[in-house]
Amino acid sequence: MPQFFLNKRLIVLLVSIIILVALIGFSLRDRTELTWPEKFVKDTVGWVQFLVSKPAHSVAGLFQNLEDLQNTYHENKELKTRVEQIVNLEKQVQLLDKDNKELRVILDKKETLRDFKPLQATVIGRNPDLWQEMMIIDKGKTNGIKKNMAVIGSNGSLLGKIKYVNQFSSTVQLLSSADPKNQVSAIIQGDKNVFGLVDGYDKEKRLLVKRIPSDAIIKKGQLVITSGLGEVFPQGLLIGKVEEVQSDQYGLTQTAYVKPGADFYDIENVMVVKGTMMQQQAAANLELKGGGQ
Amino acid sequence: MNKFLLPLLFLLLFILEGVFVEFMPSKYSDSMKLVPHFLLVAILLLSIFGSKKHGIIYGLVFGLLFDIVYTEVIGIYLFIYPLASYLASKMMRVLHANIVIASITTLLGVAFVEVGVYELNRIIHITDLTFIDFIQIRFIPTILLNLAFIIIVVYPLKRLFEKISEELGSD
Repeated sequence: MPQFFLNKRLIVLLVSIIILVALIGFSLRDRTELTWPEKFVKDTVGWVQFLVSKPAHSVAGLFQNLEDLQNTYHENKELKTRVEQIVNLEKQVQLLDKDNKELRVILDKKETLRDFKPLQATVIGRNPDLWQEMMIIDKGKTNGIKKNMAVIGSNGSLLGKIKYVNQFSSTVQLLSSADPKNQVSAIIQGDKNVFGLVDGYDKEKRLLVKRIPSDAIIKKGQLVITSGLGEVFPQGLLIGKVEEVQSDQYGLTQTAYVKPGADFYDIENVMVVKGTMMQQQAAANLELKGGGQ
Repeated sequence: MNKFLLPLLFLLLFILEGVFVEFMPSKYSDSMKLVPHFLLVAILLLSIFGSKKHGIIYGLVFGLLFDIVYTEVIGIYLFIYPLASYLASKMMRVLHANIVIASITTLLGVAFVEVGVYELNRIIHITDLTFIDFIQIRFIPTILLNLAFIIIVVYPLKRLFEKISEELGSD
């Protein structure tokens, strides 16, 4: 059909669909880093975003302050009741902390999976199409940020992890993101610690902790924390509280529905944390490998 | 009129989108997703009141920028922004370029992009939302938000784009 090929618009459309598919395929493959043009564009735009978000943050902060002022009375009442409990807890924590230190000295064990170094960062933008839950922060490679580091909110709960790092900015993938690759190894605290994987987020604002053994007994209200076993996350970052447990359709594993400790919206400041023990272990492993060769 | 006014305006809208979602109140954010399409609205109005060529070029450039900076999946917005502005300008050739008709066309363009991006994201498994949920959670709130934005900006942007296209035409 010669007429078909003469239609310029149709050819343009077809060619652009081919380019579309090629580009999507290119960006969806399992890549650990962005290409340098992408990094360059992201850093340049990141600089402008930084300029715009600074005044935006201060204006939003003003409104936040007004809102806080309205709730002061209620909050004060509630907090007063909690203060007494906290005093008791503090005493206990001090004792336990001292015990722990002494026992560690006896065992000659200095680092734990729990140790981490925090790095403060400001959110300068968020993915506005809201399909993938991602944020851009103003710290990058020059500040020592690496892929897969944990990101926590201002209240200390886990928000997500670093997806890509550029020179002066980086992308954070939130836990609420629907990416199947976005998994975090977790512990459900109880008399006996139970392991699971945080994977998914449902419509009722709950995180799904999957692959829990079917014989594990999990109660409502138990805390879920990071296990520190996979990748570079430190141990003991709060993920949330168990709300409901269901066994899966074959009865082989259970899924816990967890109310996240972090608020995935309205985030201004975050901390990027790095487990110090993992880092040292990795360095030690590298040395061992180097020595072997 | 300054040469840099148009790119600067679009860049500002582009960054404003990212800042807008950052400050969305968290109470309703999971049951109701407000997606700002400020940039797209401006691009569509440019292709309606300004020139079709400029609309498509700005669609291409800012679509690519959007893909790189925000979604990290290159191609989706790069493809759909120019397509939407092409379709909008095509539609306006048939219809009379009245401010109400232009607003409705722009809103249709936003709806087209929302549904188009949803379908593409379903194909590449970025989302597993069902169509009914998509309509309830995202589509209706988004359309209302962008309708409000269109009503606010349509008149000033119409004046601005007509002025700019006149100047470009006289060059």
